[in-house]
Amino acid sequence: MERMAVSRRTFLRLCAVAGLAPGPADGADAPKTGGTLRVGFYIEAATMDPHLSGSKVDRQIYHNIYEPLVTLDTKLGIRPGLAESWQQPDSRTLIFNLRQGVKFHDGTDFNAEAARFNFNRMKTEPKSVRKGEVANIESVDVVDPHTIRINLKKPDAALLATLTDRAGMMISPKVVQDRGAELQRNAKGAGTGPFEFVEWIRDDHLLIKRNENYWNKQGGPYLDRVRYRPIPDDTVKLQSLQAGEIDVMDYVQPRDVAAVKADRNVVVVDVPSLADFAYQLNHMRPPFNVKALRQAVAYGLDLEQIVRGVWLNVGVPANGPVPPTSWAYDRTIPPIKRDLARAKAKLAEGGQPSGFAFTLTTNNIPINIQESEVIQAQLREAGITMKIKLVDSATLLSDGNSRNFDMISYQWSGRPDPDGNTYQFFKTTPGTSLNWSGISNPQIDTLLDRTREVANQAERKRLFGELTKILQEELPMIFIIHPVEPKAFSPRVQGYEPIPDGMMRFKNVWLR
Amino acid sequence: MGRLVLHRVAAIVPVLLLVTAGVFALLHLTPGDPIDAMMAESVDAEAKASLRQELGLDRPIHVQYATWMGRLLRGDLGHSIRNGEPVIENVTRRIRPSLELASLAMAVSLLVAFPVGIVSAIRRNTALDRAATSFALFGICMPNFLLALLLIFLFGVTLRWLPISGYTDPVEEPVAGLRSLVLPAVTLGLALAAVITRTLRSSMLEALAEDYVRTARAKGLSEWRVIRGHVLKNALIPVVTVLGLQLGTLIGGAVITEYVFALPGVGRLVVDAVFARDYPLVQGVILLIALGFILSNLLVDLLYGWIDPRIRYR
Repeated sequence: MERMAVSRRTFLRLCAVAGLAPGPADGADAPKTGGTLRVGFYIEAATMDPHLSGSKVDRQIYHNIYEPLVTLDTKLGIRPGLAESWQQPDSRTLIFNLRQGVKFHDGTDFNAEAARFNFNRMKTEPKSVRKGEVANIESVDVVDPHTIRINLKKPDAALLATLTDRAGMMISPKVVQDRGAELQRNAKGAGTGPFEFVEWIRDDHLLIKRNENYWNKQGGPYLDRVRYRPIPDDTVKLQSLQAGEIDVMDYVQPRDVAAVKADRNVVVVDVPSLADFAYQLNHMRPPFNVKALRQAVAYGLDLEQIVRGVWLNVGVPANGPVPPTSWAYDRTIPPIKRDLARAKAKLAEGGQPSGFAFTLTTNNIPINIQESEVIQAQLREAGITMKIKLVDSATLLSDGNSRNFDMISYQWSGRPDPDGNTYQFFKTTPGTSLNWSGISNPQIDTLLDRTREVANQAERKRLFGELTKILQEELPMIFIIHPVEPKAFSPRVQGYEPIPDGMMRFKNVWLR
Repeated sequence: MGRLVLHRVAAIVPVLLLVTAGVFALLHLTPGDPIDAMMAESVDAEAKASLRQELGLDRPIHVQYATWMGRLLRGDLGHSIRNGEPVIENVTRRIRPSLELASLAMAVSLLVAFPVGIVSAIRRNTALDRAATSFALFGICMPNFLLALLLIFLFGVTLRWLPISGYTDPVEEPVAGLRSLVLPAVTLGLALAAVITRTLRSSMLEALAEDYVRTARAKGLSEWRVIRGHVLKNALIPVVTVLGLQLGTLIGGAVITEYVFALPGVGRLVVDAVFARDYPLVQGVILLIALGFILSNLLVDLLYGWIDPRIRYR
């Protein structure tokens, strides 16, 4: 077990050096062109249309076919993508200078008109899942064939980071118009990325091939093709990698990490993630409408023990929603420490000196069950009785959205800007939002708005630090862990660059 | 015979009505919502509401059922909510691997169960019989997923004789296709073989004690002819019943095996659809599975008459 332990310090160091990571193996050789990379995912993609996608596995594929206006580097810095440069003349205007000479895979030009078309589609298409992300965009003007101006309704410092993912991805307007709903199944010609969509045989595989006319002549794409396959069972997926049937798997379960690291035929890369795994507490009904009782639960939990015992140290205890991979992470704020005496005092303060009972709603998957059993045992020592209600994802979402819970699991994959891990969870919002706890706190609201208005990163970091401290006091959520996302590769795979958003971009990947 | 078939076909209608109404009610009573499941990351209430309206999910449940029924009568099973494809396309794509797997598993089970069952009945209470009975007990007790993982570990990872997971169409690539189905078929087939072995053994023991067997032996028939012509044929009825019931289960219910071996079958389709609350897809698939069950049972009933001429349907 020692071998695989990732201490908090190691994790932070991992985050710091992620930019220098050589990929799965020492990339001393010169890259070779050719070969098919076989990738195993836990689930099949849902749609090939980035504007309609609500699934993480879709993004894994998109980042090779489509390109966003701006991209992330390994330290979460924003780098040029389809936009060569950008300026912000005032807090409500963003001007993008688009790259010239870029063509979609269908041969049409990528230009300012195409970019405007994409933003308009995200805002108006009835099934668009991107509406929330581009809600702050009032309009998009074409300044000249290679320049667009985005006019914002109010300042939004997080928008650039949002545009590094699906909301910034550009689809060929011609493909959208010609193909309509069929784009969901067939993305031929639709992107500008280093790989082109070839075919998607449902339930079997999705194939992409090298874009021979890719605009960026530096580095790859080297691979002839990438073949994605859904293998739902984790154990079987791992065995497929060990037996050489696949070359890459997207995620190694914590329980397997030690064994896989000991296997010479497999290379594991620990990718620090943007995620925060937490529990939302329902502020709208008893018992957690009483702050002292929320605090009693928080003081009753031993995060170190949960991270060590359940997650086998594949991650670090969380101090709040902002992960250690982020520039906004404040390492001076420790996670909430277990303090049973304080928990009991809080119980008394909350009018329940002899304890109380509540129900935890969580996903019916092994690691969540283990975690809830550990929490149950820890809280019992504090005099709190916790019942466990196991549900499937659809029920979890419906219980969360309708606030039909006391405490509910929320595992957020995270966003590059800390805004994506905070605003929608803690801002007072009527109606549907991810603020399932129902927290409405003027101080938090003001802070959240400030983090969008301020452009200076150091100042934003200070604001997020302040927010984290208030969240530890108000507890709309109890934060448990910032997990590491271990990915496993065949030793043949070279040149993989781990970016903390967990997406596997294969542009510079090659096979030995 | 013709009347029986007509009768049975007429009985299909109320059964299917009951099944569809039951599934519809159960699905809508289950907490969770397809739009929430599909747009989990979106906080846009307006978008969710408009999509819900577009899919007709905002209407009362009986109206939704009537609409679905109306479409069904016109031969339209609707579209999957999750991937937008017609339900029938989803099912036709998935039914082939399921049928191939079920047939292969059935073949494996018969190949194993007949010799083992016959030998254990003839050599009752010998070491051979005890070994056969133990095998049957093992097959029944062994969980599917465990057997699957053990087979994968042995034949896929260690010996590397067979692929670990995934599906190749045997029609397009016969060798690769068969290889991809061997491990799952053995996984399913062994469990079924165990059940058939036990059934065959006990019904053969019963037949062996009958007067006509004694008569046949007294006539001087060879033991093999006694077994084949008199014992086995009479012992087949319960076995056919079991096979008929199992065929339906194999096609729609091999979820765990399909899951472990990453086979794109009907079982996984329906489970994934339930998790996504993809109502039209669940409805359509269950309807077809129910139809499959009914037809396989009809086939069994017809087989009875063929195996045992004393059974005549009026």
